[in-house]
Amino acid sequence: MGNWRLFFLAAIVLAAAPLGLPLFAMTLLTEALILGLLAMSLDLMVGYTRMISFGHAAAYGLGAYTCGFLALHTAMPLPFSLLAAALLAGVVAIGVGWVCTMATGISFSMLTLAFAQLLYALAFKWTSVTGASDGLAGIPRRAGPFGMTVLETRNGYYYLVLASMLGGFALCRSLVNSPFGAVLRGIRENEAKTLSLGYNTRLYKISVVTISFALGGLAGALYAPFAGFANTDLLFWLFSGQVLIMVIVGGQGTLVGPILGAAFFMLVEHVLSAYTDAWALFFGLIFIGFVMFALEGIWRILTSRLPARSRA
Amino acid sequence: MALLELDNLTKRYGGLVAVNRVTMRVDVGEVRAVIGPNGAGKTSLFHLITGVVRATEGDVRFNGRSLNGLSPYRICQAGLSRTFQLTALFPEMTARENTRLSAQARLARRWQPYGGGSVFAEAARRGDEALERLGLTDVARRPAGLLSHGDQRLLEVAMALAQRPRILLLDEPTQGLSVEETLSAVETLSGLLADGQLTVLLVEHDMEVVFRLARKITVLHRGSVIADDVPEVVKADANVQAAYLGGYT
Amino acid sequence: MDFFPFLVTQCLNALSQAALLFFLGVGLTLIFGIMRIVNFAHGSFYMLGAFIGYSVARGTGSFWAGLVLSPLIAGGFGTAFEIGLLRRLYRRDASAFLMVTFGLTLVLGEVVRLLWGVQGLQLQLPTALAGIVFLFDEPFPVYRLFLIGAGAVVAIAIWQFLERTRLGLLIRATSQNAEMVQALGVDVNLVRSGIFGVGCGLAALGGVLAAPMVTASLGMAANAIVDAFVIVIIGGMGSFPGSLCAALLVAFVQVFGTYYFPDFAIAAMYLLMLLVLVIRPGGLLGKEA
Repeated sequence: MGNWRLFFLAAIVLAAAPLGLPLFAMTLLTEALILGLLAMSLDLMVGYTRMISFGHAAAYGLGAYTCGFLALHTAMPLPFSLLAAALLAGVVAIGVGWVCTMATGISFSMLTLAFAQLLYALAFKWTSVTGASDGLAGIPRRAGPFGMTVLETRNGYYYLVLASMLGGFALCRSLVNSPFGAVLRGIRENEAKTLSLGYNTRLYKISVVTISFALGGLAGALYAPFAGFANTDLLFWLFSGQVLIMVIVGGQGTLVGPILGAAFFMLVEHVLSAYTDAWALFFGLIFIGFVMFALEGIWRILTSRLPARSRA
Repeated sequence: MALLELDNLTKRYGGLVAVNRVTMRVDVGEVRAVIGPNGAGKTSLFHLITGVVRATEGDVRFNGRSLNGLSPYRICQAGLSRTFQLTALFPEMTARENTRLSAQARLARRWQPYGGGSVFAEAARRGDEALERLGLTDVARRPAGLLSHGDQRLLEVAMALAQRPRILLLDEPTQGLSVEETLSAVETLSGLLADGQLTVLLVEHDMEVVFRLARKITVLHRGSVIADDVPEVVKADANVQAAYLGGYT
Repeated sequence: MDFFPFLVTQCLNALSQAALLFFLGVGLTLIFGIMRIVNFAHGSFYMLGAFIGYSVARGTGSFWAGLVLSPLIAGGFGTAFEIGLLRRLYRRDASAFLMVTFGLTLVLGEVVRLLWGVQGLQLQLPTALAGIVFLFDEPFPVYRLFLIGAGAVVAIAIWQFLERTRLGLLIRATSQNAEMVQALGVDVNLVRSGIFGVGCGLAALGGVLAAPMVTASLGMAANAIVDAFVIVIIGGMGSFPGSLCAALLVAFVQVFGTYYFPDFAIAAMYLLMLLVLVIRPGGLLGKEA
């Protein structure tokens, strides 16, 4: 498949990025990859299963706080903290998924939002763990196991993020192309029919929420040591909405699209904020424009311009 | 041997009795139709059997085992595959992907979250077989949403068939079709049922269709069974004519 | 403090809180019930109402002018938005509305920030409402009693309108079967635009009424939208009496929860929602899940 060739090409270009890019661009790129991982994880729910979540910040925040807490209070090597954070987000997601999948459609969206806001409220109250409104500050990048200090460097951390993103992408791609993924597409197109064919659709949906949250938690866990802090903004509903924007603008149901969407979001924020402090205003307008007139998103628009690839 | 047995099955919505003490059985290899005028309770009966709604009283037994309180997916897993009165497909998938996904539901590794080449291959084989039996091989690669209405109805039957069910439940398979489309669909379906291998429970209000396909008929009127016999006897039944056929001809 | 006076004042507190929640929830549920769409920007209209109310009250020197004009202005804006954008989306999936109105939330948040700044603004009450009264020797703000009255008046007005007037009948019919109503020669688009405006106006009315108590601020929208969602989910999507019951239930749980379990009060609303969903997935008075 030509797609895998493109995947390796992108991987090589991204791996070579630290050689040619200035420092500030590397910072932007690292953050874009972290957000890309988050947006891609949400795409499993939104694009492949038609579960429009307005609460994905919950996964990110959970991951960030867990990793930050472990880095501040234990000597756990970073890779293990990342795994622990992803695991915790996944476990919480089983409960979130169980409750939210009692409803479908719009009610599901509203429930995910309410859940994220519950965590947001908790983060304000649980001062001993979350630092309340101050958040967690001064989160260090702990050395890896066996004295691997490379993760403490800027480029070393970039490669960790890149590896997580590519690994997450390979995992998601394998998932959506598997028999499991075929059932998800069934749920997306006609849930009642999928149920009547003998699939326990609720279990599939809870599983998707769990996987999606675990990957989103991993993204959050990568963010905390990168930024050095974790605060309640990461759990706020506005951020959930922004991640959804990345997915829709980039192209839902494509995995690659949401990553591009995240990069586009970073770029627009960066460029617009140089001219105006009301960049969110323009971003809202751009988003409305995409939903109204270009729901297929950036990635599909790009690939349909390349006839050789789109026919493959 | 009785495969599906309904025992005193009753469904009440407040004061309205949709299904009233219905007792009937479908034997292995039998093609049975449930008929009745609009509002007779045919669709409610179907919902009760497939677990979409719960019975107020009575029991549904499949192969001797009660289906009471099971959710629709478990009932399907037990070997009852259904079609819907209003066409229910995956419109963006091709016809072939529709039957493949349907067949996949009966494979042990249906949930496998990686790879899956062999699962897909087996499911596609079963699906293609079903498509062929319903004469849909030519349109297999078209998106289901773009098929003609007649082909969409048959595709739904193919999806159910791809599951290799022990009993096939068809809810008005010719609903919404033109006269020509109905004729051609009935032709295809009667070919499918000719070898007597399939057990079928059919709900239908079109009498032509019923008399072409069914070998046993149960007549529902206002939720109750008023006749249960072979087509010739049912046709001649005075009660049935009064309730249904009288207004029909 | 004696138990009885305490109980009375706490109940009145809860009722006034319920009135505010009701203003929030009813607009959202009305819009959902009739148009089958969820207006994510509902909380933003609530916020917008508070800010416009503040400016009108300052400009005219009258709280009452703000109370009347703000819902009209916000409602007019809501109608314009429906005509300009939402109308193109009726053939699309319900999530398209959710996303477009989320975009509007971002836009409105920024517009309010640019026009009014980030400082919280205190809306002054007229002297008639600013005082306190003594109930069983307990002091109680007059304004809270006014809120209870306003809530009751609006609830009865909406109920009577839906049940008794021809237009109300038409609106309920539109929610059942828009095509049929259209075939009867009624301009369904007009009904929808009107209802969207009324829903936004009700949110704005809630915003003006809340402003003297919580100050008009950018943070209002965020809390409001979540509260409104919870009310609508608990009450049952699209059910008018449901939103009233849910507002009362949530308010009482919040007020007494804050008193007896201050640490858990913040979660009380969500736990209540969870409980309702487990028992009745469609909400208290909703049809089904």
